[in-house]
This record gives sequence, structure tokens and C-alpha cells, in this order.
Amino acid sequence: MNLFAGHLPGIAATEVEWRRLDFSAWGEGVTVDVPLLSEAQGLALAARVRENARSYLKTLPVAEIVATIDKAIARLLDREDPLRRQAEALLPVVTGYDAETVRLGLSGYLRTFRAPQLQRFLAEDFANPGVLDGFQPAMKGGFARAHGPELLLHIWAGNVPGLSLWSLISGLLVKAGSIGKVASAEPLLAGWFAQILAEIDPRLGECLAIVWWKGGDAASEQVWLNQADTIVAYGGNDALAAIRERAPITARFLTHGHKIGFGVVSVAALDARKAGALARLCAHDAMRYEQQGCYSPQMLFVERGGKVSPREFAEMVSRELAAFARRHPRRALSVAEAAGVAAWRSGEEMRAFDNEGRLVLGDAEDGWSVVQVDAAEPLAPSGLNRTLKIVAVESLDAVVPLVAPFRSFLQSAAIAASPEELFRIAALLGEAGVTRIAAFGTMTAPEAGWHNDGRFNLLDLVTITEIEHSAELAAEAFAPYVD
Amino acid sequence: MPGIPPVREALRESVADVTEAQIIEALLGFIDQGEASEAEFERMALAVFAYQFANNQSYRRFAIQRGRTTLTVRNWRDIPAVPITAFKDLTLSCCAPEAAERIFMTSGTTQGLRGRSHHPTLAVWDRSMLVNFRRRFMQGTKRIRMGILFPDEAAMPNSSLARYLALAQRECGAAGSAGFVGPQGLDVVGVIAALTQAEASGEPYALLGASWSFVHLLDALTGQGRRFALPEGSRILDTGGFKGQSREMGADAFYDALSATFGVPRNLCINMYGMTELSTQFYDDGNAVCPPVKSGPHWIRSRVVDPVSGRDLAEGATGVLVHHDLAHFNCASAILTEDAGVMVEGGFKLLGRVDGADSKGCSLAVEEFLKAARG
Repeated sequence: MNLFAGHLPGIAATEVEWRRLDFSAWGEGVTVDVPLLSEAQGLALAARVRENARSYLKTLPVAEIVATIDKAIARLLDREDPLRRQAEALLPVVTGYDAETVRLGLSGYLRTFRAPQLQRFLAEDFANPGVLDGFQPAMKGGFARAHGPELLLHIWAGNVPGLSLWSLISGLLVKAGSIGKVASAEPLLAGWFAQILAEIDPRLGECLAIVWWKGGDAASEQVWLNQADTIVAYGGNDALAAIRERAPITARFLTHGHKIGFGVVSVAALDARKAGALARLCAHDAMRYEQQGCYSPQMLFVERGGKVSPREFAEMVSRELAAFARRHPRRALSVAEAAGVAAWRSGEEMRAFDNEGRLVLGDAEDGWSVVQVDAAEPLAPSGLNRTLKIVAVESLDAVVPLVAPFRSFLQSAAIAASPEELFRIAALLGEAGVTRIAAFGTMTAPEAGWHNDGRFNLLDLVTITEIEHSAELAAEAFAPYVD
Repeated sequence: MPGIPPVREALRESVADVTEAQIIEALLGFIDQGEASEAEFERMALAVFAYQFANNQSYRRFAIQRGRTTLTVRNWRDIPAVPITAFKDLTLSCCAPEAAERIFMTSGTTQGLRGRSHHPTLAVWDRSMLVNFRRRFMQGTKRIRMGILFPDEAAMPNSSLARYLALAQRECGAAGSAGFVGPQGLDVVGVIAALTQAEASGEPYALLGASWSFVHLLDALTGQGRRFALPEGSRILDTGGFKGQSREMGADAFYDALSATFGVPRNLCINMYGMTELSTQFYDDGNAVCPPVKSGPHWIRSRVVDPVSGRDLAEGATGVLVHHDLAHFNCASAILTEDAGVMVEGGFKLLGRVDGADSKGCSLAVEEFLKAARG
């Protein structure tokens, strides 16, 4: 099966050079043709998107944009919709995640972009979302209005389906003309979303474009970087640094680097009745998206002294991972990924030789690995792809110094603890750099209006134009009705 | 003992009995016998495994953890392969480490740890190197004048490559052979003089060294606009890749540049693939086409495995290379590399490194984390 990715308003498919990407998983193959634009085509497209956004998108009330996005999301949530069917059929082949993971993940994620959730998203960042439509009275006096970028460039990375929608929708809400560069690992969903928007509101569809170039292709990238006034980029720090070096100094550059998630389990959660259900939720978070998400847990810190010991808890999590492996088998790993898993596991095995306090659970051939460690160990990445380290700690407070050195890589943490402990530990983790505290079982599904990486995702995109009180007063002197 | 094949019976005996001197003598004889059938390789491999299982405590624990002992291992493919990172974490030696005549160390600086291979004697290592080098690089030539693009053994006593090149020069180098990397770095003037002289003499010449040294030399010669047409029979041996010591070059660009600069056809540009964690090297038959087929002598065998399960993959499937080098008798003969490869007719093809896989999503993976930790 062959598909075309991208969304290129005003450019015919026949005018464009296409590159073919091959995907195969679960016994099926898909080829996706991605557009490779010439410099002239890129410049023309950027100008067109910028102009269309200026003359149309920026004139729409934000409530109308919300309504249109809501309709588009409704179609992607409708399991009878042809594009939704296509997504369910093809994304498992493209990303390698199992069909059930894709289906559940998509539905859960898309639900956070319905109208009520979008309104919450707006309200999180703007006390009065009306500032996106016109001047509104400011608290300090005068009036203020928020303007989105003229041209917002999104550089997406990775294969987690739908990651692109987050920043794309943010851009629409602030009325930015958007150019989105899809990741080679998941080039489809952003284009489908743009296509649906264009079917609902053709003029809106001309205010965004979905393009591709090969990651790291500096020459192609430069054309786009020069055009954008704001850039949102995802990826590893090396890739981000390379982009930042080439971005114009006048462009606002917003990054989402790779992150490492972890969990914290208090003795309050470790009695025989509660621990089993909790272990299942921990395993679920590690299984969903094969720990490829920035929010995925790679390490659990488990408090000693409960009815269920850290080792027993590790065994429970292992059993749950084994059960998930049967129902949702791990996606086929590339040689490099398999080598990463094997290197992590065998490294832990070596360290376990002379150490009673370190146990490697499961068999090398299982589709998961758990290592349980008795002595406190600082946060570190696992081998990914359902590999988890479970570290015993004397107290929840002991977790803080173990994660604090890695501030720039922190984002999500799950906590299972009493309300009092939750707030106390959340305060300490927040100081250390954690920006999102979730319940186990929801680590991979941030709630609507989430402040990704602790930032105001809409506010970061806008500039504010203020009419100072003095101007307002001065204007009175020139009014036709002036005495 | 009825029902047990003689090989395994011999093996059981060997567990308790074989001394270091005996295993060395057996291996030297094995190398000298010129070839080995699968059964002969297996017999020797099981004997070496038994020796290592009995005398190398770290390896024994590793093998037991994998459920492999002298009682359960029945053929050479079952012998558990140690990941090469283990040479950093563990002392993998049958002899007491302080009794080693030489310790070869990796140059890798990840977390400051270097992989170490202990050699109670270099007799087996040297024999393995020379017999194979003569066959694959010298190709019937007794001696050839050599230019070595690597520091000497005195400068790098823990480098197996320095040892390798020193042996090559001592045993196979003709008069006038010289090393061109000293404390001041690459002696470009000296190399140019040697190449000019070789060109004029009409005698074949050999340049040997690290791949990245060649890149430095190529850049220096290009800068001066110098090219050579070395006499027929001249040849080049590079090894080890670029390792951040020089700019990276694609294989075709690299061999094209060597060929154009020195006048040595690509089929006489031979790449040696060796590791500190081995006592035997692999060669190709020139790099007319890349990637070429690599192969080793009869005392080393390779497999391509799924690194997670450790199981052999079918011929033609890409996986991670496992080498089983009987000459690495004091450490661990079976090693799991970090090199991707594919088995092909006559050997295997190397397809690059597999360390440091990035995540496919936005989660932090080990390599980026380590890089950040190193600063």
C-alpha cells in the first residue's frame, strides 16, 4: 500500500519531488511518499501560508477556531470515519506499536482536544481568551491584545502517534500560520488532520502546510528556519542545538528535548490489597508506547517498610508486564534498539553477580525486563522498550537528591502516596525540576490543558500589544466629541 | 562412559586437568594445523570453554547466570557470549591479573572505564596475528617496506593495535620500514619522503595504520596537492574507523581517496577488523565494493544473533555479531560485540555500530544521558 503524506495548499502533487519511506510491522508493509520541496517552492508556500493566515485565520474569533478543531477531532474520534479507520490500520504498521495501543492511545489523546478541553486549554494560559480576538482591558490599566506568530514552524520528532497535533493545535488557537515538518518515524497523522480541517473549512486549510525534509538536512531546513518568526522543535539536545545554531536570532525558539519519567511509591500504597492494582498501573505506564514518550517511566522509587517490600512489588510489576506482553506484545525492535535492551540488561546482570541487593527479573527472551535494586541509585535511563528499574528507598524524601542532578531532563513523575505526602513530595520534586505529577496509569496521557515541560504553551507563542493608559487618555483629547 | 560421545568425555576430563601450559600448546598446534573442520573447531572450543569455566571466576558466574555450564553446553554455538562492555566492569582472566605479561586496553573513554584483556603470554596472540596477517595481507610476499601510521609499542604499551603493527613491521617489514607517528604527531614530511622514494625505487610499498590517521594524511597531502603512484604490488591496510579522531568519511569516499592519492587500487586497500577483546583479526579481500565480505582464520568463527535472545539469525538477516575466538583463551573466547552485521557466503559484512540507539520518541535514552553526564 502506498500513501502520500503532507499538506501543500496551492501546490499540485505533480509539481513536487517525492521521497519514499518504507515501513513494515506486524506482517504488513506500507510505503509513504513524503514531499521534498525545492527552495523556490518552500519560499512560495511559506509566503502563501503567511498571507492566508493574515487575511483569514487572524480574522476568525477564537471560538470559531475552537469549533472547527472540535469538528475535526470528532471525525478522528469516530471509528467509522474513513480517515480514522486508515489511522487505526496504518499507524501500527508505521510506528510498530500494537493496534490496541494505537487505538486506545489515539482516542485518549484526541479526547483532550474537544471543545470543552480546548476552552480549558485557553483558560489555563489566558485569564481572558478574548485577548486573542481584540483589545481587552488590562488589570494594570490600558488595553492588551495577544498576537500569534505570522509563521510558526513546527519541527516534530519521534513515532508517538499524534504528538504533532499538540503544537499544531496550539498554533491554530493563537491564529498562527503554521508549517509543520513531520518526523520520518510518523509522517502521517499531521497531514490527515490538516486534510480534515481543509474539508471542514477550506480557507482554514490554506493557513497551514505539512512538509518534510530529512532530519539533519541543514540546507532544506535553513529555508524554513529563515521564514519563521517562531520555531517549536522536538528532539534530542544535539539535534536541537544544531537547529538553534541555524535559526535566525530574531526568531523565538521553543524546544522540547528528550525527558526521563519516573515514579514514586509510598508505603501507604504498599499493602496487600492495594499493591496489586498499583503494580498493574505501573506496568501499564511502562508498556504504553514502549517507553518512547517523554512522560514514560523508566525508573520507580519504592519506599521500604511497607507490608509489601520493594522486591515483592518488583515481582508484582514483573508479573503484570508479563501479562501485558501476552495481550499487547512488544513491537519488533530494530537491531540498535534490541542491542540497547540487551546492553542494559546484561550490564545489570554483571552488577548483580557480586551483589545480593540487585536482582534481574524475567528471562532475557521475555518482552520486558525488571531490575530491582536495594541500595539507593540515582535516576538513569533504562534500556527502554519495557525495561524498568525499581529502586528501594528509605523514605520518599530520599528520592529528591537522586533525581535533582538531572533537572534539565525532568518532566513527569507519578506518585502513589497519601494526600499529605503527595503535596509535600510534589513540592520537593517541583523544586528539583519536575513539572508534572500524575497518578500511575495516566503517565502517558497528560490531561487537557497540560503545561508541556512546565511551559505556558499558548502564552509562549504570542506577543502582547498594549495600549497604555496614557495613550487612551491622550486619545480623548482628539475625540470629535471633545469639548 | 557409555552413551557419551568421546568429545564430551575428553571435555569432562579437561575441566579439572588442563593447565595453562597445555591449553597454550594445544592452541599453538591448532593454529599451525592450517585448517579445521566444524567438529575440530567444536572440540577445541569446548575445551577452551571448559578451561575458562574452571579458571575464570567472573566468566563462570556469567555462564551460570545464563544457565550454561560445561554440563549443558553441547556445541560451540551454546557457549555464552560475554557483552564487550563486561570487559570494563569485570576482570575476565583465567590467570591472576598481576601474572599477565601484557594487558591490552580499549581506547574507549565512556565513563572513564577501559575494557581490559589480560594475556599471560603473547605467544598465542602473536602466532594468531602473524599466521593470519601473512595469509591475508602479505599474500605470499615475504617482506615489504612498510610505513606505519600509528604510535609505536613503547608509546602505547596497552594498545593491541600498536602491538599488531610492531609485529607486522618486525616480522614482515623490509629494510627501510618506519613509523611516522611520534610524540609530535604525524610526520607528513617523513611520509612524503618515503612515498617519493618508494615511487622512484619501483619496489612495492605498504602503508598501515588507523583509518583516522589516513584521513589526516589524506588531508595533509591534498593541502599540498601531492599525489603518488606507488609501484605495482603496493598495498594499504587501515583499521578501526574514525572514532572522532578525524572527520568522518563514507567508505566509498575513503577508498576512492586512498586509491587516487597513493595509486593503490581499491582491491589492494584492505581493512582489518580487530578488537582489544579478541586475539585474532578479520580481513576483507580489498574494498573494490563496500561493504566487503570479512572473514577470519580457522580458529575464529562468527555468528549473527538477536541481541535480546542471543539466538542465531538466519543468513541474510541483520543482527549483532558474536565472535568466538579460540586464541583469546585467557579471557572469554565468545564475545557479543556492538557491531551490526549480516552473515553472507564466505564470511560476514559489517554494517556499523549499534551502540547508542536513540529513542524513537521523546524519551531520554542512555547514550544522550551519558553524553550529558560527561559534559
